[in-house]
Amino acid sequence: MKAAAGIRPFAPLRALGVPILLMLALGPSALGQDDLFDKVDDQLTFGAWNDALRVRLSGTLDLEGYYLGQPAPGLIFSEGNEIFNPRLTLFLDVQLGPRLYAFVESRADDGFDPGEAGPPVRLDEYALRFTPWGDGRLNLQVGKFATVVGNWAVRHGSWDNPFITAPLPYENLTGIWDTIAAHSADEVLVWAGVEPRPNRGGEFLDEYRNVPVIWGPSYSSGASVFGEIGKVDYAFELKNTSLSSRPETWAPTETQWQHPTFSGRVAYLPDEMWTFGFSASAGPYLQPSAEPTLVAGRGLDQYLEVVLGQDMSFAWHHVQVWAEVYEARFEIPEVGNADTQAYYVEAKYKFTPQFFGALRWNQQLFSTLPDGAEGAVRWSRNVERLDIGPGYRLTAHLQVKLQYSLEHQDADSQNWGYMLAAQFTARF
Amino acid sequence: MTPPSLRRAAALLAMLAVPAAALAQAAVEGRVELPKGLHAPVMNKRYGIVAFGGVLSPFPPVAVVYLEGAFPRPAAPATAQMVQKDLMFLPWLLPVQVGTRVEFPNLDDTYHNIFSYSPAKRFDLGRYRSDERPIPSVLFDVPGLVTLHCDIHEHMRALILVVDTPHFVVSDPQGRYRLDGLPAGRYVLKAWLDSKTTLERPVLTQSGSTLHADFP
Repeated sequence: MKAAAGIRPFAPLRALGVPILLMLALGPSALGQDDLFDKVDDQLTFGAWNDALRVRLSGTLDLEGYYLGQPAPGLIFSEGNEIFNPRLTLFLDVQLGPRLYAFVESRADDGFDPGEAGPPVRLDEYALRFTPWGDGRLNLQVGKFATVVGNWAVRHGSWDNPFITAPLPYENLTGIWDTIAAHSADEVLVWAGVEPRPNRGGEFLDEYRNVPVIWGPSYSSGASVFGEIGKVDYAFELKNTSLSSRPETWAPTETQWQHPTFSGRVAYLPDEMWTFGFSASAGPYLQPSAEPTLVAGRGLDQYLEVVLGQDMSFAWHHVQVWAEVYEARFEIPEVGNADTQAYYVEAKYKFTPQFFGALRWNQQLFSTLPDGAEGAVRWSRNVERLDIGPGYRLTAHLQVKLQYSLEHQDADSQNWGYMLAAQFTARF
Repeated sequence: MTPPSLRRAAALLAMLAVPAAALAQAAVEGRVELPKGLHAPVMNKRYGIVAFGGVLSPFPPVAVVYLEGAFPRPAAPATAQMVQKDLMFLPWLLPVQVGTRVEFPNLDDTYHNIFSYSPAKRFDLGRYRSDERPIPSVLFDVPGLVTLHCDIHEHMRALILVVDTPHFVVSDPQGRYRLDGLPAGRYVLKAWLDSKTTLERPVLTQSGSTLHADFP
């Protein structure tokens, strides 16, 4: 059972100490290290056949510390107040002539999400891309890769993302489970933690069974077609799992492919400053193992997650702004449609060449389900969250970020939650 | 008058004492043994739609050869350009004299964001497009090596070598170079190969003649 541990006065310093100490230790001497990293980059780039084949090995080393209140927010799975989460990510980019491109992303850490305790070494992404024409009008890609939906997945890497955690739609757990089909609104309320769990004591006991609207960058498996025609970008994908599916289901061997998810995004780019995108996705959110729990006569493909998304981005000089709005529906036969709306607005500003700051406002609202007595109940708790994230680039290869998040939930108790996090990233 | 000003005035007087024709006649030429060339960079296209075909040119190995001495700085600041075209910096290595303003026109139809954290010049130009006016520029007023990156395109990298002399040249990819219009006298000739390697040798230039100096 998760329980709030006793708070020690110096615990935040201990949890966040490694990234901050590294910043202080490396700060004065870091400027001279750029050349070393550039030389490493040169040595890790290989070529053959007159450079028709080129291979580059690169990566990031992230050292993250979290200090948080309980229950842990979003996709952090911890019963304590402190987590140290180191992560080594290696990328392999391969270019074969102008038409073929492949990439692989592997990670070594304590699990895909902090505290998850999943496989310590994984192939998180791999894909092969064929580009028939040089103007980018058509690309075909197959493999295991980030979703095309929305505008956050393209910037979710620790170096590019001004925050340490994802926006709310990508990590706030709803009352939906993907391992058991719900049979009543009451069951969903219990799963959401709105109602106490009978005979189990703790309302956060099975947090890992819950799913968000989109699980992080959603590195599921499948194929996509995408390109750029004039001022319009398009991307469509067929994947083995829905956007809400958890990392364990993303591998191509984890599903039988009988119930794929279709997703797409079309974006209009009037100029370099603005992007306006529209995304849609539909696919079953239950894992195949949930089949025995379905309502009699129903199939997995009747438990659909349908997502509509609108996104925009703006960039000019030292300002960047992103916003996304998602309307998601989890269809629950015999119970009703569990609808939710989630959005965020995020802005980043570079105050100096090395110091930047970011601000993000997130909110997720839940609709109601029929309670079986001609009434209706809200099926999860509405959530608001403010994220503040200053960051500093020591060099072109070393970066330190901090994040403070203050979260409010519509709940009878424990309305407020917080998180303080620090992340040190070395990019090579 | 400050001491540096005195030194500059003395150097100017010394040059005026020599016939003007002789000043422009000395030259140095030779060949620099260049290091092995680097492979063309590999573009990170994992999450973006890259309209550009993705075939990048390799960095040709070149050297910067310059004559070190007490030379007058230009009365008006010089201007140079380093463009961003096809997701590359062109040229990838640009030598400039101290006090030169370098413009960075964006010739691509996408944003670039040039920055440098090098001790010789720290700046971040932000995101700007091809019609940005005035063309974003930076004054390089301290000698040293400045490494440039693009905050959007990870593979983009370039160097600006800021030297305290008006007499410099970039070799051709075979390492051949020629410096014309040199004053006569004893100087140090330097060949910059990379951030860790600068070769040098003393030279005596004479008006009306061409000195041959190879590295090494």
